[in-house]
Amino acid sequence: METLLQQVINGLSLGSVYALIAVGYSLVYSILLFSNFAHGGFLVIGGYICYYTLAAVGNNIWIASLLALLGAGVSAVLVERVAYKPIRERTNVTLYLLIASMGMSIVIENIFVVTVGGRFRALPPVIPTNPVNVFGLATTSAFDILSLMMAIFFLSGLQLFLSKTKWGLAIRAASYDLRTAGLMGVNVNQLISIVFFVAGLLAAVGGIFLSVRYTLYPQLGLITIKAFVAAVIGGLGSLPGAVVGSLILGLAEMLTAGFISSQMRDIVVFGMLVLTLLWRPTGLFGKHVAEKV
Amino acid sequence: MRKIFVLALLAVFAVTGFAAGAMADDVIKVGYLAALTGDWAAYGQTELNAAKLAVAEINAKGGVLGKQIQLFPYDFRTRPEDAVNAFRRMAENDKVVAVVGANGSGINIATAPLANRYKIPQIGTVSTNLLVTVNDQGELNPYMFRTCFTDPYQGQLIAAFTAKELKKNTAAVLYDVGSDYAQGLREFFMKYYEDYGGKVVADQGFRAGTDVDFRAQLTTIRDSKAEVLVLPNMGKEMALIMKQARELGMNDIIFVGGDGYGEFMWEIAGDAMENSYWINHVAPEDPAMADFFANYKKTYNDECKEFVNGILAYDSIYWLANAIERAGKVDSTAIKDALENTVNVQLHHAVMSIDPATHNPMNKTGVVLVAKDGRAQFFTRIQPE
Repeated sequence: METLLQQVINGLSLGSVYALIAVGYSLVYSILLFSNFAHGGFLVIGGYICYYTLAAVGNNIWIASLLALLGAGVSAVLVERVAYKPIRERTNVTLYLLIASMGMSIVIENIFVVTVGGRFRALPPVIPTNPVNVFGLATTSAFDILSLMMAIFFLSGLQLFLSKTKWGLAIRAASYDLRTAGLMGVNVNQLISIVFFVAGLLAAVGGIFLSVRYTLYPQLGLITIKAFVAAVIGGLGSLPGAVVGSLILGLAEMLTAGFISSQMRDIVVFGMLVLTLLWRPTGLFGKHVAEKV
Repeated sequence: MRKIFVLALLAVFAVTGFAAGAMADDVIKVGYLAALTGDWAAYGQTELNAAKLAVAEINAKGGVLGKQIQLFPYDFRTRPEDAVNAFRRMAENDKVVAVVGANGSGINIATAPLANRYKIPQIGTVSTNLLVTVNDQGELNPYMFRTCFTDPYQGQLIAAFTAKELKKNTAAVLYDVGSDYAQGLREFFMKYYEDYGGKVVADQGFRAGTDVDFRAQLTTIRDSKAEVLVLPNMGKEMALIMKQARELGMNDIIFVGGDGYGEFMWEIAGDAMENSYWINHVAPEDPAMADFFANYKKTYNDECKEFVNGILAYDSIYWLANAIERAGKVDSTAIKDALENTVNVQLHHAVMSIDPATHNPMNKTGVVLVAKDGRAQFFTRIQPE
């Protein structure tokens, strides 16, 4: 029983970091209808900005995080302007955007390999990791509690932004139909920039937590494959779906590794992806919109 | 810069070549295969320096069988094909009786057929792969030897240390399923640990490169009540594992690992490194090696940083000298037989005995390092039987 509880806590803490990344995928997908594989790159950019700012300003995590969030958000906007905007202005085949995003993800990864080197970096222990006892039943680290709280904070912030602000309304409208939203007077380019900024910002939050826990290296962005799977299971384009999918995935991974075999964990993860695509191609929370001709 | 270096090297060869011609019968010609340029240059240069130091010391004491040892160093540029060419030249032009080096298994696997064909014994320094001394059909390469112990043997050392020194009878293993090195260490650890009366209570795997979160496995290990966690892996994953274990409140479990230890692990794991134990070939603080380090520094005005290579190269020369002494004549095949029949020869870093069936060192003493106060320190020597 205690073991089960412990593995559930482990799973939730892993899932909460996936959620921050998966939401970014879903957000972009809901507007532009393509999976932005460069998303992992934004996470890495956030991590490196945080690492170098920490070194420069003497381990002040607040300044470092702020700069990392802004930096990753701005780079996401730049990537959209440089790589995606010219394509989406010329064609509405989203396959090209998908291919461009794969290219961008390789470009970003290699920029870091060339400039700062492929060696991993360990962030200074700016976030406490001491063990915390949960009601005498399980042990987790202060870090996990913090990352869970941050995930909740940022995800509810996003929810508020989408439901209460004018831009949030525009984004929701655009997620139904980008072209009609444009016809209604929404500045589509500005809207897309905002979406990318928010996605980059959330990726940076995930990036900081991931790099503190697992060290920082140019290929850290590959972990977003799991977040992408989570977004698909939850239903691409659906934000609650992304969160639920992430938690399911985190739990599935930990429970498989803990009770079946650690070698099985990726088989289970990708098996779940295949099953989802077979039975519910739109995911748990996906909306089904008939293709209009 | 590199051109000048090559020219200088050629000049050295030319001079030593002339000298050799002048007193051909009074010297014992020994080839040395070192990576002086390329990726392994730092290791190779240290090895050659250490080997020269050993030769100078032996010659100063009157040489071997009344003859002086003369070293014929060749740069193999970290490339197997250059190593093969160098070996040919050593055998055909320089007529060496033995070759020492190289410091990598891949290089020695490439030169093994030549050593067998020319019947010239070769001693690898840090060539830990099993296939150096036996080929992939399991047949012995009769002229290949090594000074270091093999990868799987480390598993036995870990078992001996855990069961006999730490006196802990329950252990867990968390190993990289995708690595031959980790698999070998694990297999031999489990086999010998049971022999020594220990019990492996948890055997968990992960995949290096894709897995960075080990909490699920660690939770299982925690529930198994293991007293020791054996980590037969490479540095980075081990550091993450130790950090995550302490985060899960596993404060009493003792970490024991092999020569995958690296200084950089402190950056990741921080205080979680403290009081972990690491099996290695040699230790910089080993009291028996103090003279070597002092002489090295005096001669080359530089610290012997790649100390594993330095010490193993240094003792490879001493081992060869001992074998020539026992052979009683300067003859390649006689030297090979003497190397094969090495029993309890006291070198600086260990006592050497060779298994004639595999040419691997038998029951060789290993060194245990303990991580304390932010660095790895000499803890003890260990010999399984």
